Amino acid sequence: MFGAFRPTQANLGGLLWKTPWKLSRTRKANQRDRLKKVDDVIETVRASGVQCSALAEALLLPKEHEMLPRDKYTTFSPHERGYRKGIHKVPKFTRLTLRTNPKGF
Amino acid sequence: MNTLRNSMARTCQRTGTSFTSGFNRISSRQLSSTSQDSSSQPSSSSSTDNAPPSPSSQGYYKITLLRSAISLGERKKGTLTSLGIHRRMQTVYHPHSPEFAGKILAVKELVKVENVGKEEVRTKTEQRRERRPAKGFKVVDGLGNRDLEQL
Repeated sequence: MFGAFRPTQANLGGLLWKTPWKLSRTRKANQRDRLKKVDDVIETVRASGVQCSALAEALLLPKEHEMLPRDKYTTFSPHERGYRKGIHKVPKFTRLTLRTNPKGF
Repeated sequence: MNTLRNSMARTCQRTGTSFTSGFNRISSRQLSSTSQDSSSQPSSSSSTDNAPPSPSSQGYYKITLLRSAISLGERKKGTLTSLGIHRRMQTVYHPHSPEFAGKILAVKELVKVENVGKEEVRTKTEQRRERRPAKGFKVVDGLGNRDLEQL
């Protein structure tokens, strides 16, 4: 407002976008529920007795109770320090499968 | 072709470690032994696999869309269209087959699936009729039953 490249403040009428660095307890619980629901879908297809390559690949994914919290709530990022970022930073993460990360990360 | 597929499936069955070299955690999932057993004769299991299921034992997938595919790309949207699903909360029934299994797994994050028998399959009209509430009255007699001379 009083110079070039000033960041706008909310109380001066600017917009505010804040994303927390990590997920809250509620969001983590919801994420676990979502993982369990996908596990149920894969389990249902497995129980139907049908065989296909998609099912073989899906059965290699870890189940929710086998995953580390690190894998449930964060995902690989080549740009961040530590090579991990919050999974909520990935667009559409609630509708994507992001269970595995590159080996060693 | 079939023996290759069956041998691959049996390899998956024994342990998941052969495929997990690129993953952090070793999965403990294993394929079920309902349809196949690694100790059983390969020729008999492959012949029962190739035979189509009898009409009474044919199972169905009851697929309900819970989350939309908006912004997920044309592939996933196309998969839902091919499943016959047009809107959220729509329920669709499809027979058990590798094609439909693959389609379900392509959209597994969006969908809820149940295995049902043939008697539970409903068409769209039948589902709509079942959703109708009971009328609350019963028609005992009407004008259609009267003699025409009495009117």
